Amino acid sequence: MAVVAIDGGELTVGGGLLALVRPALRLLEEDGIVAVLSSSASVVDDLPSWCRAEGHEYLGSEETAGGARRYLIGRGRFSLRAAQEAGEAMPERADPITGFAPRGADVEPGGPAYPFDLLERDHLAPPEIRKLYEQAVAAQWNASRDIPWDKAGGHAPALEAAVVQIMTFLAENELSALYLPSKFISRIHPAYAEVSMFLATQLADEARHIEVFLRRARLSGPRLGVSSVTTSRSLLSLLELSDFSEAAFLLSVLGEGTFLDLLGYVERHAPDEATAELVHRARTDESRHVHFGLAHVRAALACDSTLYARLEQAVRHRAATLHGVAGVPAPVQDALIVLAARGTEPGAVARGHAAFRELLDTMHASRVKRLLHAGFTPEQADTISQLHTANFM
Amino acid sequence: MSDAILLGAVAYDPKVVTIWEGMRDYFREQGVPFDFALFSNYERQVAELLAGHVDIAWNTPLAHVRVRRATGGRSFSLGMRDTDRDFKARLIVRKSSGIRTLADLHGKTLAVGSRDSTQARILPLYFLQREGVELDRVRILPFDTDLGKHGDTGTSELDVLRAVRQGDADAGTVGDLIWANQQSAGHIDPSQLEALWTTPPFDHCMFDALPTLPRAKAEPFQRALFAMRWDEPAHRRLLELEGLHEWVGPREEGYRSLEEALDSQAVNVRS
Repeated sequence: MAVVAIDGGELTVGGGLLALVRPALRLLEEDGIVAVLSSSASVVDDLPSWCRAEGHEYLGSEETAGGARRYLIGRGRFSLRAAQEAGEAMPERADPITGFAPRGADVEPGGPAYPFDLLERDHLAPPEIRKLYEQAVAAQWNASRDIPWDKAGGHAPALEAAVVQIMTFLAENELSALYLPSKFISRIHPAYAEVSMFLATQLADEARHIEVFLRRARLSGPRLGVSSVTTSRSLLSLLELSDFSEAAFLLSVLGEGTFLDLLGYVERHAPDEATAELVHRARTDESRHVHFGLAHVRAALACDSTLYARLEQAVRHRAATLHGVAGVPAPVQDALIVLAARGTEPGAVARGHAAFRELLDTMHASRVKRLLHAGFTPEQADTISQLHTANFM
Repeated sequence: MSDAILLGAVAYDPKVVTIWEGMRDYFREQGVPFDFALFSNYERQVAELLAGHVDIAWNTPLAHVRVRRATGGRSFSLGMRDTDRDFKARLIVRKSSGIRTLADLHGKTLAVGSRDSTQARILPLYFLQREGVELDRVRILPFDTDLGKHGDTGTSELDVLRAVRQGDADAGTVGDLIWANQQSAGHIDPSQLEALWTTPPFDHCMFDALPTLPRAKAEPFQRALFAMRWDEPAHRRLLELEGLHEWVGPREEGYRSLEEALDSQAVNVRS
């Protein structure tokens, strides 16, 4: 049996002795005893009362050679126990009772259960989550400082209108990418705080993207482009997702993945330096989100073979709700063609149209590649990619 | 009376509603039909128990002893808090008062709690007298707050501590739990106050019932009561509010000193 000895000197129970006794009891192993040496006369009655109040076991006292007394206390059944595994590693399953207690904290028993319902490591946190978070933090940029705003605009009205339409569309989609992850942060158990923290960087990214897209759109005036019903329906079907893996898959792997190609297209055909720079930076951020989505889905698929079918089902379900959506919203399609044409000259528009058609093929090919990387079969990958929303996100 | 157990408790604090509504929900979850009635004082609660208007009364030691006497010792005692066992009262002195022994109390001012408080008045005075303190040679400064609540609020005990600290009294009597909790919370200045003497242990609250309480009510009540667990979040909240870690079985020997005190006429509870 382990005995932990404390020298309390002349400290009284109300005058500091407890600051020695309580930590010793907390660190005591099961069945251990704390031996308190004290020369304070009042301790003889105060310590047993305190033990009774706290539910500790007062085991008596004995005279020592020096004239002081030694008091023996056993840790009561009602005091602290380690409710979570000590250490920094993420638990396989988190306990709702540990609430906001950081991993590794000793949690008192009997606390309230928190309403977090995302409690399983393998369905939340890919192994590389900490690295992804660090990369995201290091890559933050500033919309005012880092974009050469003086190198924008001055284009023919039709081309500028196309840029405004594209920026409007991008901002609308990024707003959905701001809202959807927010829904999950409050459900993720803090034992997996790194996931929430990564998502927080994602939210900051999206906020910055919304800022730069709208700032670019408004350079030529307050009026923005069209928000189409197709986009609206598509984004609502994203927002309504309640399963984290499905959301990560549909938003980050398929949606933001498709956006990588879209942003690359806009960057390539951007008519000015500011537009090229801001979509380039947005694309770099988005590729991190895609990386997280892929890492999450890969890790989740590795431990849950039923997930393939669920993800495919989620894509099918979403496609069904978007039934009747024939293609990319017309205003967006037109703007992308005029952008690539750099204007309205018919010959150039024909080339722009070809570039747009090529973009759709590229998007499909990239999606299939990502789906294969995530672990889907070529057939599944092809089907899922074909079913992906014509809205891109 | 209906099948539901009707329990009486005294509303000495707003938290009593929270406690017994929580307990009612808990008992019902356990399949024990249960309701409660709140009284403003223990005298009324004891009268209503004896009249058969409630099944069980959550009683202070004074109320418990009165029920024992009124039923000729035939009442059922159903359970108590772990903290109700081996209660003690403490004599707290101001260090500058010069009181070093109990005999030094003579000629000094002694603050005491409500006259119906077992721990802050009745038993400490009884035991002091047994130790040879002549109470008529001590100036008693009483804090008769919350009469009828039998000291449950703790208000009179905090008044006692304040009076001793401020010099209105040289010494005072309080229950050991309030002293331990005040020390534990860091509210006591050890250079000013110290506990000089401690009474022998006595027991505190008890669930009382008439001997006519059917087993069909007593047994489910005890079963559910004793099944409450400190590490169960919903239970812990109620246990903390009621000031215990676990409910334990009844015992009678812990009330003998209170019976003697009431018989001795040393302490006038009713004045």
